[in-house]
Amino acid sequence: MSSDDEDYLYDDDSDDSGNESTVNQDEDDDNDDFGMDIGLGEEASGSGGGGGGGLMMMVSGADKKGSDHAHPYEVLSTEQIVEHMVDCIKEVNSVIQIPTTTVRILLNHFKWDKEKLMERYFSDSQEQMFAEAKVVPPYKLGAKAMVAPDLGGRGVSLSAKSTLECEICYLTLPKSLTTALECGHPYCNSCWTEYITSKIMNEGASQSIECPGNCDILVDDVTVMKLVKDSKVKLKYQHLITNSFVDCNRLMRWCPAPDCPNAVKVQFVESRPVKCRCSHLFCFACSENWHDPVRCVLIKRWIKKCDDDSETSNWISANTKECPKCKATIEKDGGCNHMICRNQSCRADFCWVCLGPWEPHGSSWYNCNRYDEDEAKNARDSQEKSRAALQRYLFYCNRYMNHLQSLKFENNLYSMVKDKMDEMQQHNMSWIEVQFLKKAVDILCECRRTLMYTYVFAYYLKRNNQSELFEANQKDLENSTEHLSEYLERDISAENLVDIKQKVQDKFRYCDSRRRVLLDHVHEGYDRDWWVYTSDDITS
Amino acid sequence: MASTALRRLMAEFKQLSENPPEGLMAGPISDENYFEWEAAITGPQDTVFEDGVFIARLTFPQDYPLNPPKMKFMSKIFHPNIYADGRVCISILHAPGDDPMGYEQSSERWSPVQSVEKVLLSVMSMLAEPNTESPANVDAAKMWRENREDFKKIAHKHVRMTLEEDPPSESRNT
Repeated sequence: MSSDDEDYLYDDDSDDSGNESTVNQDEDDDNDDFGMDIGLGEEASGSGGGGGGGLMMMVSGADKKGSDHAHPYEVLSTEQIVEHMVDCIKEVNSVIQIPTTTVRILLNHFKWDKEKLMERYFSDSQEQMFAEAKVVPPYKLGAKAMVAPDLGGRGVSLSAKSTLECEICYLTLPKSLTTALECGHPYCNSCWTEYITSKIMNEGASQSIECPGNCDILVDDVTVMKLVKDSKVKLKYQHLITNSFVDCNRLMRWCPAPDCPNAVKVQFVESRPVKCRCSHLFCFACSENWHDPVRCVLIKRWIKKCDDDSETSNWISANTKECPKCKATIEKDGGCNHMICRNQSCRADFCWVCLGPWEPHGSSWYNCNRYDEDEAKNARDSQEKSRAALQRYLFYCNRYMNHLQSLKFENNLYSMVKDKMDEMQQHNMSWIEVQFLKKAVDILCECRRTLMYTYVFAYYLKRNNQSELFEANQKDLENSTEHLSEYLERDISAENLVDIKQKVQDKFRYCDSRRRVLLDHVHEGYDRDWWVYTSDDITS
Repeated sequence: MASTALRRLMAEFKQLSENPPEGLMAGPISDENYFEWEAAITGPQDTVFEDGVFIARLTFPQDYPLNPPKMKFMSKIFHPNIYADGRVCISILHAPGDDPMGYEQSSERWSPVQSVEKVLLSVMSMLAEPNTESPANVDAAKMWRENREDFKKIAHKHVRMTLEEDPPSESRNT
């Protein structure tokens, strides 16, 4: 075993964030075969040197959200996540003093809830806890570790001289080429490697790799790192571990932007905007794009509704009728009311108006005088209802899509404005004087985003006095946003430059303030229970 | 990987032929392909399947023993844990990852230290004691629970059929 293995798992070499590296106190230990820099493979030293806990990470000021929220959040890169995980492990380790690699399995078992782990550890059911977490209690394996102090981690290579038959490949090998976990089931190293590799690569397992024998003791990190040589497999294993760390951790969330490797960490869970270093802005609670003023439940419903075919079926029920005999869906595009079903096996004659059999209609080809008051009313009502529902949905959906579409041209707008800014600088304006244009586009986009979500909110809202007020706010914001957009489209010449600048600045300030008014009003409504929703199962 | 599988299958075959467990016989169908086996299982004594000799096919994956073989009865057999087409549903043939419902203890499931012999012994005891909790053949499970006499009749019919069939291929050569 050489230091070749030092490169993976919890490697903090690539630390570039200027963090306080409190994690290397084990580095000088030459006996650490697997050389993990943070000494995961070592027995608990008891020093607790790294026990600073989870919030030691320093994050550059730009990542902190200042004014709106009292509680800052952090954006963590993959390396920082690993460090963070290591800090967590060390913190627990400094208290309960069992091998770090065991601590990681335990923490994972408790979904990285340190307090819960400590509570169980110091309760009567400690032994049961180890069994549930599928590890052998460390105090039960003291003897073996004493005999072979040169071996890192829990994976103990038995060093006795005799040979052993591997139960997997049935080869007889010297014991030195076999490995066993604390459960004491030895297998040859190459079978172990194949087994672990297959678990990691084929099943994506990292937490749940059990001893290949019929026992459920989990394989620890150090053993994995020792047995697996392929760097691809090692990397994948590390990814899987960090992934499960973030997924289990309620206070952390991966940035949902495609291919973004960062995660965001908050101090407590709430629906709030967080901005990743990749500049993606999303809601911490639901990972959707930040959707103020709509709440997470509603935006979820809305997105589902837009994705579903449910509106297709609404259209069908609003615009078609069913054949009274074979129930085929029919859209009438002309002709008289005497219908003959085209379905070859059906061929029913019926009246389009009353959907009754055609026969009694006799020769009155063009109208139906068999008017059954109740039946006709019911049919009309239900059709009108679904037609109205569809129209209502389309109303809000169109407006939502409209803003969404405009936002998609965001980048074009920025580049157009950049051209204008260059142009204006040629008209003897200084760089600082033309910055208002960029600011205007920022605000325009923010207003569009907010407006977009106000239509989702409005769709689910029942009318009352407050909703009228909300709609007035919405209308005002929409109007002024469109004005602002129009000003930005105007050609700028030397003559009208000052005038336009004045107008744009006035408008964007107005837009910005109206946007805040609208949002504040909705939030106040949440606090005071003003909002009534169209369906009863929505709770705010 | 395939070489590990082959070596292991050869070793298992050798062991099984030198020390055949009572009521079991198994081996590759041909020397060219060690990944297809045929097995003969005798119905356990004092059960409805007593005296029957049931033939089954075992198909091994290239990464055996990391993953379990598949097993399918070729003889007709009516049993709560065997699908109508003969596929066997037993926990020891399920990889540990395969059980989203959590019905099975991991100790009952496939692991690389299981073997053909252990699988066949498990199937044999499954014949004696069907598990009607999660049946593969619902009709059979229902009849086993509610109408044991009819179940016996069907089982006896199938036992007689196995005795009229060709004996398993190993003995065919003799």
